[in-house]
Amino acid sequence: MSAFANILLGGVFHAAVLFLVAAGLQLVFGVQKILNLACGSFYALGAYFGITFTSFAAKYGMPVWMLLPALVFAGVILGAIGPVIERLLRTVYDRDESFQLLLTFSLLLMFQDILRFIWGANPRSIDLNYLVYGKVVFSDFSVPVYNLLVIAAAIIIAAGLGLFLQRTNYGRVLRATAENRSMAEALGVDVRGVYATVFTVGTMLGTVAGALVVPTAAASLDIAVELVVEAFAVVVIGGLGSMPGALAGAVVVGLIHALSIAIYPELELLATYLIVIGVLLLRPAGLFGRPVT
Amino acid sequence: MNIILETRGVSKFYGAFCALDNVSIAIRNDERTAIVGPNGAGKTTLVNLLTGLHLPSKGAVYFKGEDILGANPINLAERGLARAFQLVHIFPKLTVGETIAAAIVTRQRKRWNLFSSLARDSAVARRIEEIAKIFALESRINTESQLLSQGEKKLLDVASAFALDPEVILLDEPTSGISTSEKHRIMKTLIAAAERANVKAMILVEHDMDLVATYSDRIIALAEGKVLADLPPKEFFADPKVIETVVGKLRAV
Amino acid sequence: MSSRAAVLLAIFGVLALAVVPWLAPPFYASLLISFFAYAIALLGFNLLFGYGGLLSFGHAMFLGFGAYGTAIVSGVLGIKSFEVALIAVVIGAAIAAAPIGWLCVRYTGIFFGMLTLAFGMLFHSFLFKFYYVTGGDSGMRIPRMNILGLELAQYNKISFLAGPFYYYCLALLVIAGLIMWRIVHSPFGLHLRALRDNPRKAEYLGVRVREFRLVAFVISSVFAAAGGAILGLRIGLADPELVYWTHSGQLVFMTVLGGFTNFFGPILGALAFTLLQDQLQSLTQYWRFVLGAILALLVIGFPTGIAGLIRNYNWRRVAAT
Repeated sequence: MSAFANILLGGVFHAAVLFLVAAGLQLVFGVQKILNLACGSFYALGAYFGITFTSFAAKYGMPVWMLLPALVFAGVILGAIGPVIERLLRTVYDRDESFQLLLTFSLLLMFQDILRFIWGANPRSIDLNYLVYGKVVFSDFSVPVYNLLVIAAAIIIAAGLGLFLQRTNYGRVLRATAENRSMAEALGVDVRGVYATVFTVGTMLGTVAGALVVPTAAASLDIAVELVVEAFAVVVIGGLGSMPGALAGAVVVGLIHALSIAIYPELELLATYLIVIGVLLLRPAGLFGRPVT
Repeated sequence: MNIILETRGVSKFYGAFCALDNVSIAIRNDERTAIVGPNGAGKTTLVNLLTGLHLPSKGAVYFKGEDILGANPINLAERGLARAFQLVHIFPKLTVGETIAAAIVTRQRKRWNLFSSLARDSAVARRIEEIAKIFALESRINTESQLLSQGEKKLLDVASAFALDPEVILLDEPTSGISTSEKHRIMKTLIAAAERANVKAMILVEHDMDLVATYSDRIIALAEGKVLADLPPKEFFADPKVIETVVGKLRAV
Repeated sequence: MSSRAAVLLAIFGVLALAVVPWLAPPFYASLLISFFAYAIALLGFNLLFGYGGLLSFGHAMFLGFGAYGTAIVSGVLGIKSFEVALIAVVIGAAIAAAPIGWLCVRYTGIFFGMLTLAFGMLFHSFLFKFYYVTGGDSGMRIPRMNILGLELAQYNKISFLAGPFYYYCLALLVIAGLIMWRIVHSPFGLHLRALRDNPRKAEYLGVRVREFRLVAFVISSVFAAAGGAILGLRIGLADPELVYWTHSGQLVFMTVLGGFTNFFGPILGALAFTLLQDQLQSLTQYWRFVLGAILALLVIGFPTGIAGLIRNYNWRRVAAT
């Protein structure tokens, strides 16, 4: 039973990180109708930069307990590349979705080598010990408090995003633009500005997710490409463009991850992809998406 | 004179809204039937039901005596029912000749030929020439469809429907978007084309009552989802109540 | 493109390719085997994409079919004839593609892309799950095989690739090209292009939209499998990396590079990519970046690819000088 709880918590942690990335994807897809394959690159960038930044900060006297906020900070300031990338994507907004997809794919390729150039081909780990936050000890297993903090952070961000989209004026503007771009434009919305903002926030969610994960996992070149696969599963299961979908999808994929570690690790991707295909065939809108004709 | 296409007690509901209420009409061979009525009367719904785009909530549709409930457009095209739309539909990257050829390929049952050369098929080439000539498009046979003028696109849309050699052709506002001075010429072209193409029955959905009066053998008027009148033009235009509902309402639009 | 221009271009191309083993070092000839493999695979891929309007992000799966199928035929079953392997993978791919395609062509656009990506990754995970057959990460060996019944043991691997096998593959490419040319210019090909341009109207003209998409899917998978078999024999290994989604992305890249609106585009794209990748790899370890940048440039500025550039080039001005 407790072994199960241990695995479950692992799955929830995994889900928390995936949710952040998926939320970014959903935001961008919902408003701009672009599926950003480079989300994996942002995740990897966040991871590597998180390591570099915290090592740098620690050298200059940052106390170890500031690890979590430092990582979040690192992820957020990396989001500055968002507007730059968005400028590039702007050139294909009016084109066929295949071209938009290809452009984000080309970014993924380019970032692979950018990562390699800056950080080298070998995996990197963080040298600060995240156990500085301690552990919660159960009868026969323990959970690092760090993991629980990340889960809490993801929940807070989820709630925050939800409130922002539903209750604030700007959130309404975003939802209006997502619903009907030309209508929003006609009503005076600065669609260009909205797109830039949305993409930046989406990028930031990805970089923060990557940064938050590094205490528990190494940063390597592979994680960018592998994440795309998982993130894509999350948004399909949850429903393209839906925020609650990002949450639901992340939980499902996180649980599959957890269960397969317990039962049979090779099964993970297989199970994930069978469910993705099942969803696409039986209910292509996913759990929370809009029905597809 | 036989009935080639008919609806029997057809109704269509969209939720609580009744678009068509117990409509029974019969389209006959050798007749040009016009379907008229103000916007929202149910013309489009009826036409969609006749051409398999939607299913009726109640009632049945028969084509050549067979129940075509649930038949899809491909099926109907094969069986001899063709339709041209109000909004012009073309294949942007295909030439005029290729567009017409697509219909001919269906008609000549060559769809599943994966290895024969279409360019060298003289039966198809001859037919393309014939159809293009009827619609005065022979000079544009090798032009890409997206480069045509709006009027030419319209003609192409109709021409490709005729190329199916259908027994019934349904034209949805064929002269919309065409200047008034040209409308009669286009209608005459369409009728001549129908005759040369051996099309037995033509259904016209039209707003222009002048054209309807001149070129149809029968007029079916719809109002609020019901059949208001089903008469030859002389009787139709002699009935004041009908005129008021259809033409009067049209004038207000 | 007129038939006559196409024939001239093809003859020129074949002749140019035929003299490569005589003029260039064996390395280049064996490099071009990759080109032949991808060219055949892309001819099929473009039937689905350029002519059918469906972008598959899982097509590398069928390349993998070809490679792994060949590995099973030669490595596991011990059959040495490459022709048998070709026929086996072609039939196998068609059988697998039929149900997969049937499920996928119910959708278009982004959902089609996602479904095909999912199937591709599913196959990828199968390769790891059944590692006792497929060798998991290490892949499956593909030993030397006989072509046209000839063992040709007197050739070592590289001279085999640069010599007899080179011309064998060139012939396969010509045959594949001829078959695809016929398909594309057939009544079926016309209906395929019609359903790409306007599926709604196509239905009204009697085009069997969903069935024809499925046929295009199956044909493209068959071509991909043939290409995969050649690729596998050249490398000597069937590798799970062949099936990873980024390899599918590479196929799209090559097609767009060459120009997907033109029959010869994919072939040009395969050639350009193969040579480009080789040159870049020897120049810099950051060749992926350069390739990514080229793709970005293509998408933004030159969506019709190399073929489009050639076609739009002002030939009259050249002729006038």
